[in-house]
Amino acid sequence: MAPIVQVTNLDKYFGRLHVLKEVSIDVAPREVVCLIGRSGSGKSTLLRCINFLEEPSFGTIEVDGLKVEAGGKGKEHRQLVHDVRLKTGMVFQEFNLFPHMSVLENVIEGPVTVKGIDRAKAIALAEENLDSVGLLFKKDEYPNRLSGGQKQRVAIARALTMEPKVMLFDEPTSALDPELIGEVLNVMKKVAKDGMTMLVVTHEMGFAREVADRVLVMADGEIIEDSKPDNLFSKPKDPRTKALIDRYRTGSN
Amino acid sequence: MRSDSTTGHVIKPVLSQAELLYESQQRTSRRFRTNVGLSWGILLLILAYLFSGQNFLGIKTIQIDFEFIRNNMFFIAGGLGETLLVSVLSITLATILALLAALGRLSTIPPVYALSTFYVSLIRGTPLYLQIFFFFLALPQLGIILTGLFAGVLALGLNYGAYMSEIFRAGLASVGKGQREAAIALGMNPWQTMKRIVLPQALRFALPPTGNEFIAMTKDSALVSATGFVHEVMWRATRVGRAQFHNLEALIMAAIFYWVMTLLLSYVQSVIETRLSRGDR
Repeated sequence: MAPIVQVTNLDKYFGRLHVLKEVSIDVAPREVVCLIGRSGSGKSTLLRCINFLEEPSFGTIEVDGLKVEAGGKGKEHRQLVHDVRLKTGMVFQEFNLFPHMSVLENVIEGPVTVKGIDRAKAIALAEENLDSVGLLFKKDEYPNRLSGGQKQRVAIARALTMEPKVMLFDEPTSALDPELIGEVLNVMKKVAKDGMTMLVVTHEMGFAREVADRVLVMADGEIIEDSKPDNLFSKPKDPRTKALIDRYRTGSN
Repeated sequence: MRSDSTTGHVIKPVLSQAELLYESQQRTSRRFRTNVGLSWGILLLILAYLFSGQNFLGIKTIQIDFEFIRNNMFFIAGGLGETLLVSVLSITLATILALLAALGRLSTIPPVYALSTFYVSLIRGTPLYLQIFFFFLALPQLGIILTGLFAGVLALGLNYGAYMSEIFRAGLASVGKGQREAAIALGMNPWQTMKRIVLPQALRFALPPTGNEFIAMTKDSALVSATGFVHEVMWRATRVGRAQFHNLEALIMAAIFYWVMTLLLSYVQSVIETRLSRGDR
């Protein structure tokens, strides 16, 4: 099947720092891909380049047939980037819910403001998604009244309500207390089961093992391993992968 | 309810440690507030007594002419409307300028950034009193004649706008990077991000200090009396005070009006603040 996300020879510099080195990845429709690696390996930057939260330095990004060259300028480029953002939903480590809006307003903000969808239709869609993350009963609360896990589930519903083709998760459970991680991972499993294409930067090896179709390991701005989770955990090829997995095993990441 | 097994007396239910602690904290803070209120009352009485004209234990207090006060009270109070008008017009102008200047400071376009810093530097580097005279007395030399009210509002608005731009800048800075990123990831353009996500949060942050500026401005509006053509409280007080050589009484009256006005405005501000903080955050 033709890939829905295709990153080709992507380079990213922060000043003189070379954080992504000619990275290429393909993601098939409905595939769940986990990105793991030590902090500073470039995995979050790679994810953020896909929806142009970071402007890549060189290379191309293709999402659902939209091909964007890095370093483009002008109206046409901006329009392409905008269209790519509509095809991707993003979930952040720090949730980033809008504190001045209720849960429901948070979820309908994108569809109404960006896509210009009729408010009533947006609400129906939002309520459906809030229901599927189990938080419909909180729709009139403000974010500060929610736990971290609830905030992240609302953030997932907010991204889903834009009806993206691909969901990007940037360490979605890293800011959570340990006892709240499970509820977020369960929602993510459900999203995966519903057939969403997902790219997940994570430290949750259990999730990677159980849900991912493929795991990419990053180190020093490169992908050093690309394999099925079972193979990765049983016989890692690269010594750096082995070191990474061992560190998670001993629980000292 | 538990009872003492040896005597059979019923003992009152025992309050938990936390409740006892909380109650004692409440008592302390209640006592503190009562005593502060009482002290305020005493200070007010002393102040009033100083102006009573009574001779007490050889201490002479100040004699003031109550007849004059009765006769001119309403004339001076008649300037309250003008004072508030100048303040409201000026704060409106100042808020708009402050917001533009703060947005200018965020701009990556060099002339826009420069214009913002230039404006703030020029205005903050010169006295407000000078600015009022400049608009009223200096501009006519260039053929631009402004009324006292207009010159005053322009000067106050420009001046406060420069100072308040820092408040708005801090407000915009208080909205985290993650908020913008979430908006961008949803596909919002820079204008939508500013209008829907950043500004509402920044304004909420900036509202209380803007209230303080408004209160300060009601007092600085007295400077506009220097033009001689805005008949607000200060102008009226100096006019009757000088004419009848009763500056003491006239200025005391003006002071009381300003004081009461700022107290009322502070109260209104605190009510608005509590109402706003109820929602979220």
